[in-house]
Amino acid sequence: MLKGEHVTVRYGDHTVVNDLSFHLREGMWLMLAGPNGAGKSSLIHAVSQGVPYGGVITLEGKDVRRYKPTQLAQKIGVLSQKNNVGYAFSVEEVVSLGRYAHARGFLAGKDEQGDAQVEYALELTGLTGLRKANALKLSGGEMQRMFLAQVFAQDPSILILDEPANHLDLVYQKHIFSLISEWLKTPGRAVLSVVHDLNLAKKYGTHAVLMNNGSCVAQGELAQVLTPQNLQTVYNMDVYGWMREMLAQWQ
Amino acid sequence: MSKKIVSLFLVLLMCIGMCNAAIAQDAAVSVTDMYGREIVLDEPAKRIIAMTPADCEILCAIGCEDLLVARGEYCDYPESILALPSLTTGGNLNVEEILALEPQVILMGDMNQSAEQVQQLEDNGVKVVVSQSTDIEGVYTAIRMISALVGKTDAGEQVIADMQNTFTAISELCEKSDKTIYFEVMPLEWGLWTAGAQTFMHELAHVCGMENAFADLIDWQPISQEQVIERDPDYIVLVTGMGETAADEVLSRDGWEDMKAVQNKLVFNADSYAMTRPGPRLAQSAIDLYEFLYNTEFVEAAE
Amino acid sequence: MKKKTDHFSWWMYALYALILAAVMLLCICVGSVNIPLKNTLTVMWNTLWGLELPQGVSKNIILKVRLPRVMNVALVGACLSLCGAAMQGLLRNPLADGTTLGVSSGASLGAVIALAFGVALPGMENAGTVGMAIVFAFLSLLLILSLSYVLDRSMSTHSIILIGVIFSMFTSSAMNLIITFAQEQVKSIVFWTMGSLSGTHYRHSLLLAAGLLVCGGIIFGHARELNAFAVGEDNARHIGVNVIKVKLTILIAVSVLIGICVSVSGTIGFVGLVMPHMTRMVVGPNHKRLLVSSVFSGAVFLMLADLAARTLLSPVELSIGVVTSLVGAVAFIIIFYRTRKAG
Repeated sequence: MLKGEHVTVRYGDHTVVNDLSFHLREGMWLMLAGPNGAGKSSLIHAVSQGVPYGGVITLEGKDVRRYKPTQLAQKIGVLSQKNNVGYAFSVEEVVSLGRYAHARGFLAGKDEQGDAQVEYALELTGLTGLRKANALKLSGGEMQRMFLAQVFAQDPSILILDEPANHLDLVYQKHIFSLISEWLKTPGRAVLSVVHDLNLAKKYGTHAVLMNNGSCVAQGELAQVLTPQNLQTVYNMDVYGWMREMLAQWQ
Repeated sequence: MSKKIVSLFLVLLMCIGMCNAAIAQDAAVSVTDMYGREIVLDEPAKRIIAMTPADCEILCAIGCEDLLVARGEYCDYPESILALPSLTTGGNLNVEEILALEPQVILMGDMNQSAEQVQQLEDNGVKVVVSQSTDIEGVYTAIRMISALVGKTDAGEQVIADMQNTFTAISELCEKSDKTIYFEVMPLEWGLWTAGAQTFMHELAHVCGMENAFADLIDWQPISQEQVIERDPDYIVLVTGMGETAADEVLSRDGWEDMKAVQNKLVFNADSYAMTRPGPRLAQSAIDLYEFLYNTEFVEAAE
Repeated sequence: MKKKTDHFSWWMYALYALILAAVMLLCICVGSVNIPLKNTLTVMWNTLWGLELPQGVSKNIILKVRLPRVMNVALVGACLSLCGAAMQGLLRNPLADGTTLGVSSGASLGAVIALAFGVALPGMENAGTVGMAIVFAFLSLLLILSLSYVLDRSMSTHSIILIGVIFSMFTSSAMNLIITFAQEQVKSIVFWTMGSLSGTHYRHSLLLAAGLLVCGGIIFGHARELNAFAVGEDNARHIGVNVIKVKLTILIAVSVLIGICVSVSGTIGFVGLVMPHMTRMVVGPNHKRLLVSSVFSGAVFLMLADLAARTLLSPVELSIGVVTSLVGAVAFIIIFYRTRKAG
């Protein structure tokens, strides 16, 4: 569905993503993993057209640069890492903005299917009770759920998530990630996400791209990518050993 | 911002005057200016800079144009002085430029120059004489002070006598009436301003036997257009310096068409500099105003 | 299914129109000159139905002096407030406004250049000044925004305002420079920058109304996009807003409106900053409600400010800017304090 070829992102002289290729196919949950500064978020920005980049990214065979913004938004939903709201909008208002790409102009008021989608998204993220709440006064987790709800309201076929677990406590981490897994089961969908927490990556991902210093270290099926050797190279520590040690705390 | 601009406008049009002068005898000259400082010169001044148009006109009227070594940027009368070096006035005073001209006396208005700038000039041996007059009597004082500075008190008294004679002659020709004159000092386009009491225009109206329509205000004030229409003056005198078409503009204003002055086309485009500067040309302004108001030529009565 | 609550219901609009009409009537009835209420109403009523008018001064004062002025004041207030609301949303910056961003001074500079070098368009009086004011308003906006982008990628509220202030200083020195070199037109330039609504005509109302209709229409049409920008520019892009196109469209519409306002009335501060802010505190940040409400509140506020300017010291007339700054600042503090306490 979504394919990146030789994607390169530069900030001035500094290359943050270097000649990276990936292929997101239907049904995949592709995890972008790697330490801080590996260029994961920059790659996400490139895919969502937020930064200039070299190389080509295609969606269903067509260069994403040639899509109209609304067409692209109907197919790709993006949840960015840093989310905040400028003014005291209500939760419902922010979530409804997700419908922008589907019904614009004079049709906007009569988007009944959209209203249903918004209701569904609010319910999915557990925000129905907070629908009238002031978005400025939400906690970090509630804010994250609100923007996730906006993405669901947008009803795309590809989700691009930059640290979706940010600010979420364990209950919602589990809730949201199962939700996305569930969502992914419908045919014609795919997820590309940056996940810091390797546990979450391992549990929910199907495939992975392991990045370090802007370059791809390994990619493919998750089990083949997150090998002890690969992780040792990238993180410069015995990740497997550390994870086992952590787990032992709970036994 | 706008206050500054208004004061700039005041500089442009009104440009200053005078103070109290004490006359000294013999060669040594001593006057007191409005800062209350006594100014003593060993002999009548030979090199003078006049920063204000009115002081410039006074010096020329007493026949001392040749003593001027430079002029303020707005001094433009008589035309022959335009050849002199022009100096920036007010807060932008260029002290170095002034000192280079080596004047003995500099005549200034009480406008924007700072006390520090005045002090600097004094420290370098230039006598600063500050003038400010708000009525015709003040103009006489200024003439006396300036003529004393240059040792030409007789010429000064002659100029004063001429002015007084003109005013008296006009007063005698005019019967006192309660007709009103509206003086417009800023046009409608920029928001109307008029001259109230304690202005030369107010005094000139009285000289001509008439009343100022806005005698209830003091000094120059921004006024509401409605008030002008409501007060319906008999005459409109423009002191706006807006050029030849100014009167036509007034005659064509929306809502003014039923006013007496507009119906009778009694709108006079006065020489704004002559009428607003505290100088000898106020006498000519009085004559111009008289000739407009009474629609007759002013003939000086034989002595 | 819940009903959409984005828009106001018809009765809210009716209420706005009623308040607007009432304030307008008040401003026409009260002025520097006392005209009995009955006379005023007779003149208005008879004009409305084409009946014969009673003779006397009051007819001229009401129809040819007050009415055009009140209309122009209302329209300028509406335009400035709308521009403020649009910019505050677009830039996600509650301090954005024509004056704080330096757009108004840019427009003034354009008009001053037109006056000094005699730029004129054939066919229409003052078209040169209006045109140059609009062009310069837009160029200043572009310049200020690109400067703040270059200096501070995040385009934070404060850096934009800071650059706006610096830009205002720059334009005022540029204006002084022009005034120094253009001695002959010096007076008309100096006074043009002061501006005054007291001598404005119905033709100015026509110009303002046309501007408000076209540019206001464009801005209203982008209410949803403005909501997206007000939430965040990245978010706007993610949900499919054509960020660059929308931004440019709105900035052009705002520049045209500010250019027209500045060329009619000079710079009037505070309206575009305070009115949208106060309105937002009451109706919320949703631009579908905020834009309409700002238009009305701006018109009502400026009409009342002008009424105070005309009548407080009668027969002396205050500058309207003095009143807007004074009243605006006090009202702003009170409302700010009360919402903080309530919230």
